[in-house]
Amino acid sequence: MVWVAVAVAAAVALGAIAVLRGEHINSMWLVVAAASTYAVSYRFYGKFIAARVMALDDRRATPAERLRNGHDFEPTNRWIVLGHHFAAIAGPGPLVGPVLAAQFGYLPGTLWIIIGAVLGGAVQDFVILFASMRRDGKSLGQMAREEIGKLGGFMALAAVLLIMIILLAVVALVVVNALKGSAWGAFTIAATMPTALLMGLYLRYWRPGKVLEASAMGFALVIASIFAGRSAAASATLAPLFTLTAMTLAIAIVVYGFLASALPVWLLLAPRDYLSTFVKLGVVCMLGVGILFVRPELQLPAFTRFVDGTGPVFAGKIFPFCFITIACGAVSGFHALISSGTTPKMIARESHACPVGYGSMLAESFVAIMAMVAACVLHPGVYFAVNSPAGVVGANPAAAVATISSWGFPVTVPEMTSLARDVGEASLFARTGGAPSLALGMAQIFARSGGGQAMIGFWYHFAIMFEALFILTIIDAGTRVGRFMLQDLLGHVSKPLGRTSWMPGVVATSALIVAAWGYFLVQGVRDPLGGINSLWPLFGIANQLLAAIALCVGTTILLKMHGGKYLWITCVPLAWLVTVTFVAAWQKIFSPIPAIGFLAQANKLEAALSAGSGAAATAPALIFNARLDAAICGVLLVMVAVILADSLRIWAGILRGTREARVMESPFVLSQLRPEEL
Amino acid sequence: MSWLRRALELVWGLLRELADESAYQRHLALHGRQHSGEEWRRFSEERLRAKYAQAKCC
Repeated sequence: MVWVAVAVAAAVALGAIAVLRGEHINSMWLVVAAASTYAVSYRFYGKFIAARVMALDDRRATPAERLRNGHDFEPTNRWIVLGHHFAAIAGPGPLVGPVLAAQFGYLPGTLWIIIGAVLGGAVQDFVILFASMRRDGKSLGQMAREEIGKLGGFMALAAVLLIMIILLAVVALVVVNALKGSAWGAFTIAATMPTALLMGLYLRYWRPGKVLEASAMGFALVIASIFAGRSAAASATLAPLFTLTAMTLAIAIVVYGFLASALPVWLLLAPRDYLSTFVKLGVVCMLGVGILFVRPELQLPAFTRFVDGTGPVFAGKIFPFCFITIACGAVSGFHALISSGTTPKMIARESHACPVGYGSMLAESFVAIMAMVAACVLHPGVYFAVNSPAGVVGANPAAAVATISSWGFPVTVPEMTSLARDVGEASLFARTGGAPSLALGMAQIFARSGGGQAMIGFWYHFAIMFEALFILTIIDAGTRVGRFMLQDLLGHVSKPLGRTSWMPGVVATSALIVAAWGYFLVQGVRDPLGGINSLWPLFGIANQLLAAIALCVGTTILLKMHGGKYLWITCVPLAWLVTVTFVAAWQKIFSPIPAIGFLAQANKLEAALSAGSGAAATAPALIFNARLDAAICGVLLVMVAVILADSLRIWAGILRGTREARVMESPFVLSQLRPEEL
Repeated sequence: MSWLRRALELVWGLLRELADESAYQRHLALHGRQHSGEEWRRFSEERLRAKYAQAKCC
């Protein structure tokens, strides 16, 4: 009876958000729709996969028990593993993606976040976690090589490197757009550097091992730096030093990424990672409580006029761009790396894989719903004024508000000026990338929960600090990992280059990786359409490509276990992802609309240059960049096709009986774990 | 109130796990060693090397 009631609640709430029109709906409809759908799908679909398809068996010893070494292999309480896994998978994607996708209105994004997570993302994470758990904690690349073949393994590695370069560029661009022209924000984020260094030294020499103590101290200093940032922004001496242009910020982040990659990990990266993990979990919980407490009304409509593909935030129709843009909030290929990384080595009982694998993705999806709510509590005019690039709406405030108001979303210059003053910013126009509008929405919710309008400036910068803190950690760690991968590769050519202790090799490979993502970052900063329009779809396509690889591995494993019986579980989301990725990549290359198609954009710029109406100084670089982006899209498209063709060949062989369908699991060992050890 | 105590214990356990403090205690117990600055640095370097060989999720 309880589950019938939950299912009815889900149906009513989903029906309400889909049907109610012409009035503002309360955000609680979204919360109830999401929470009840997750509960029902976890209880029935997740448990069905666990019991019937995977046949999880608690008598079977997991790698954590069999290979226990006290470090990475360690049987751990399931709720702790769940929290650990969630902290690892929750990044900026589920926060930024839904905010950008809100340009279509709240409905398309919300429905995809819920449905995509339940049928796609959670299934992918769960299946890969299960597969890795039954294979001694092997990585996605290793499993792809074993289950599909060398080509699949190579594609997985290449996809990871490609995604990382695009990911680092796009998240760096999000930070640049959040901090440009903001003395308060730039000061606060700059202050996190000495804070992290202090924490690193504290942990290394003064109080070794006291990570929670150091993190508490770091958190207090970060909060103090937000207050100090307000004074810095008001100071005639400090304000000009911290009021930086987008290009200056981009260069600063590139230099920072290089230094952080080459510095000892304990000094900067690790302490900031500890701090950002705690802040991330705390803020996500705070936002959840804030939404429940305030129960804000959504100001954006269910659908906007931009479903036709003419949106200013990014160009393209709902299909496929809503799905590509939301990416991590519904399905994320990157999660497969975590599900086949640390997590399978911590699972104590096989049955724990369901709450950890399936449940954590539902929690991440809920974070995406909260981000959607935070974006949609903004007045539509404000949302579009913040998220529309100057190249689309006009460079001066009067032109921007005129354009946005002409779309049917009224907004005025005094309204934007007053809002900017309230949050302590010089201007909120054209602050693209999603982070500033998310921070505005979060600040409104937090201010209404406590502190009132007087605290909105603090909450805005608190939210910016929260986003920038863990984005910079991703940049540090990603550059370092990219360096390792490159050193691994170059080690085959020259032995010293492969050594992580040889400083010239470290410097050269760090510089190469930083140059790769730095190039795309600078390209994004120079892009008259704001950069996000080009880079976020590239990131989304690459991410969904990795998810397609993970689902191909999952499908192969299910096929070997059960024949074709349960193939639909992974094949349905795979077919959808392949379609979406293919169509999106195709449109990004070949669409005749310059705002969408890279080649059309290059041709338009070339024609303008030939006619003498284009900016002669910048046009050649923009033309080259558009063609480079088209080439990358082409590579991604070919990768999707190759992986799918290779997988289909394997599957056909298994189904015909011409290929061995050996399940490559570790042998069964009876678990000796005692209940008190859990 | 036992559920509250249990919930708080879990939260504390999660924080200690995320902070690598639990892993450090296990490391000391496994090798029969005492805590010292040198021991922490040895553990931390090994732990962080493995941790940052993998990319952070997006």
